[in-house]
Amino acid sequence: MDLKFLVVDDSVTMRRIVVNSLKNLGYNDYVEAGDGEEAFAKLQEDSSINFVITDWNMPNMSGLELSKKIRSTPEFENLPIMMVTTRGVKEDIVDALKAKVNNYVVKPFTPQILKQKIDQILNNL
Amino acid sequence: MKQPTNFSEVFEKITDLKELFQFGEKIIPIFQSLIEFMKDIVPLMENINKSIAESTNKMPSATNQINNVTSATEMATTEILDRVDSISTALMNIDNDLTEILKRRAGKKDILEKLKAEIDFNDEQLELLGQLYDQDEIDTFLNSIKEKLSLLNDESYQITLALQVQDITSQQLAAVNHLIESVNDKLASLVDDIHNAQLDEKDVDKIEVPDSATFDPNARYDKDTSRQNDADDIFNNQQKDESKDIASQDEIDKLFSGE
Repeated sequence: MDLKFLVVDDSVTMRRIVVNSLKNLGYNDYVEAGDGEEAFAKLQEDSSINFVITDWNMPNMSGLELSKKIRSTPEFENLPIMMVTTRGVKEDIVDALKAKVNNYVVKPFTPQILKQKIDQILNNL
Repeated sequence: MKQPTNFSEVFEKITDLKELFQFGEKIIPIFQSLIEFMKDIVPLMENINKSIAESTNKMPSATNQINNVTSATEMATTEILDRVDSISTALMNIDNDLTEILKRRAGKKDILEKLKAEIDFNDEQLELLGQLYDQDEIDTFLNSIKEKLSLLNDESYQITLALQVQDITSQQLAAVNHLIESVNDKLASLVDDIHNAQLDEKDVDKIEVPDSATFDPNARYDKDTSRQNDADDIFNNQQKDESKDIASQDEIDKLFSGE
């Protein structure tokens, strides 16, 4: 399966780190967005995007809101979503799960964790 | 007014009045002390009021300073990432060059073998040709360089990963800024009515982070994997619980039909 990632984070630094990590794992096809609104617009523009990696805390539209919006859009309801965030408390994880994200990574992440979570999502598709 | 019916009642009233005057004599010094205390406390309250006003004025500059720190670290991090990317690209180019050299050398070895098969070289010539294309030693050396390049590439990637600290600290600083701004608002409201209000420590504890905040007040740079393990446990267990909570259509139908 050819993967095209949408990397969503308001931090330019984090986007670059996630993108570099994806490249290290052999995934070179990606687009970036600085918040949930921009991400959703990119999803609508580019139908080849088939994997979303999103931060939680962002301006305009958070990663949680983005996940809910994606899931409530029939066109994207099965799109894999992975949350990569500093938020590690139980309530947040439960909220993310309720928003139907496919997996959850706590920052700072390691490349092993990132690969493991991507693989888990792909194996469950 | 009701008139006393006899002298004994009059005396009772006089006794009550006497006790009242005696109580008044005792209470008046307390009132005097209270007034003295108020005289002393007013300048103190004015000083507190002034200090709060000064502190309140300084807070915006504190938040600006914090924002400057965030911007500076973001710029520095971007520069480091640029450099690391340049190093990684250079390492990759060197690796590609080495791969090409190894490939060409393998091609030359094939040519040498063909020459040996077609031309009848004497021993001395064969030895010279062998020295000219001493494949094994040089190839081992080149492969060793490739391994070292790979290690350097891993190290530069580790630098990239470590720079996640910038995002985490910027969220921590944003949380501090939010706290300062909230305290500032509370102090500003106290400046006007300092005599009637008190800064309750609990009020500061109550400062809440809005849902729309673009930072996580609990963000921390922690390489310990326990947080990820905890997150996995919660995520996986909750997933199981969620699936338990999903009622089947039969169950829903029974509920709605009142069975």
